[in-house]
Amino acid sequence: MPLMDRRALFHRALLAGLGASLPAEALAAGLAAAAQPHWALALGDVEADISPRPLTRLHGRLPADLAGTLYRNGPALFRRGASAVNHWFDGDGLVRAFALRDGQARLAARFVDTPKRRIETAAGRIVQPGFATPARAGAQVASADDANAANTHVIAAGGRLLALWEAGSAFALDPATLATHGPVTLRPDLKAMPFLAHPKVEDSGRIWNIGLSGAAAYVYRLAANGRLEAGQLIRLPRASYCHDFTMTARHLIIVLQPWLHERASLPFASGMVWRPEQGTRVLVIDKDDLTRQRLFELPALFFFHLGDGWEEADGTIHFDGAFDGSPLFATETAPALVEGRYPRTERPLLRLISLHPDGRAQLRDAGITAEFPRHPGGYQGPRPTFHVGGYAPGRPFARSIGRWDWQAGHGTAHDFGAHQIVEEFVPAGRWLIGTSINLAARATELHVLAADHLADGPVASFRADVALPHSFHGSWVAA
Amino acid sequence: MIANRMLAAALLAIAAPALAAGPATLTVTFKVTDAPTGQIMLSLYDNEAAHDGGGKPVAQAAVPVANGQAVATFAGLPPGRYAIKAFHDIDGDGKMGMTPFGMPTEPFAFSNNAPAMAGPAPWSASSFAVDGPAAATAITIR
Repeated sequence: MPLMDRRALFHRALLAGLGASLPAEALAAGLAAAAQPHWALALGDVEADISPRPLTRLHGRLPADLAGTLYRNGPALFRRGASAVNHWFDGDGLVRAFALRDGQARLAARFVDTPKRRIETAAGRIVQPGFATPARAGAQVASADDANAANTHVIAAGGRLLALWEAGSAFALDPATLATHGPVTLRPDLKAMPFLAHPKVEDSGRIWNIGLSGAAAYVYRLAANGRLEAGQLIRLPRASYCHDFTMTARHLIIVLQPWLHERASLPFASGMVWRPEQGTRVLVIDKDDLTRQRLFELPALFFFHLGDGWEEADGTIHFDGAFDGSPLFATETAPALVEGRYPRTERPLLRLISLHPDGRAQLRDAGITAEFPRHPGGYQGPRPTFHVGGYAPGRPFARSIGRWDWQAGHGTAHDFGAHQIVEEFVPAGRWLIGTSINLAARATELHVLAADHLADGPVASFRADVALPHSFHGSWVAA
Repeated sequence: MIANRMLAAALLAIAAPALAAGPATLTVTFKVTDAPTGQIMLSLYDNEAAHDGGGKPVAQAAVPVANGQAVATFAGLPPGRYAIKAFHDIDGDGKMGMTPFGMPTEPFAFSNNAPAMAGPAPWSASSFAVDGPAAATAITIR
């Protein structure tokens, strides 16, 4: 802990000792702040939209071929009055735009204007149910979109931004103003349907996604402009929780982990049961005929995120992901983070799954911790996996950005240091761009690295005059 | 228990003799703000078991939407407590639209404007008294 913070804590403790002269609320606020760990900024509350503002350049120069906007999404309001959500995943989605132009970087951010946010703003309390937050008195849930936090990912399609959740609609936003247009209904009978936060985009721009309800999946095929081309209901062998799926050029791949939806109940996570003895199943579906399916078996795995897949000439399929041994993070760690606690440690590991034509499934370890895997696009062959990493016991979140090459069996990384929380980085041509929370400066930072020279560190870094909480996922949209 | 009920009946007889008189007529007025087309389809229930347990309604109606409003009338109802489940059949196909996962796609509402909670509002929140020749209730569909 830096000296300044220790001193601030000491002052707060002193003030607490003089409590009689302080209003009770100020005292409570001071004590609550004193009890918070350093990393609590990652789950801080943003009270209002962030008006457009320039970032301060820390060092380096923006590459001339890097002009556009990095859009990011993540939960940014967890508490209202005396109430709080029960889980990191249940905060209101704040879409941030980091615009790069003429060597300058600017930031603006707006909350997605969801029914959940309107109902809770009117109530002055958290009332709507979520992933793991129960419905409270005053909740109104006529459809899944009334619980939609629109807080997980943001992609661009058809001149709009889509702020994504997973158990309800995408919300369309204006890419220039970040104003919310509203939920996207792809067809009248698909209103408020589950739509995962991780659509996969082919080189042609065609978008694939799935939505899940128990052991049923709805497969969406969208044109590059975001309009529905086709949709089909398929049955799954089990009702696994899937935050993500993956694909190759020819196949959709749904990894069915043994965290099973066994009861229809609110909040969603309360109906999930971990059944490690049932192992993991991997469903491979032919994109041209969704009824042509193959099933592979693996030991019990838990994951949120998968990397893009690729196929060899003989049909062998490879894809990686960030895997845990159990849903501990989802069930215990992520709820505790909202309270400023980090009670248990299970660090995500980068692993490769290979599915062979003879029906064998194989698991390989990179030997490193990793999350938020991203690829430079294209599904034709092996590509490097970019990821965050450097997870260490005792502190949540990543501190480094890495690049892993499965063919060579090794990787490189840049460690931002213990005072940084490193968020997802996304490929942008020859570059990687992403954000961090600088805990020492108490500010959000934007960094650009050369994808082929990660270990050299950022070629340019900028700092905002605010610290935004940890975001989940985002997209680079070239100008 | 029985004594209580008899006492209650006696008190009611003294306080409101009109209650015991003949059947009631209920007028349900819908304020419809979501779409100007189609019809409101509604089911009227006269007991908690049928309402909350997926049982049969005592009456049903379909009334056209015009000028942001729809009115349904039920005559000859025994006085008592009732509850209504309604939806706006916007496309006029006579049925509640469903997603491939079986979730409703057309707006719905319940008497007392009781909120849905991942399912229809319960009888305890949506039931109301019908007790005279000119009973009325209003429901908003948005």
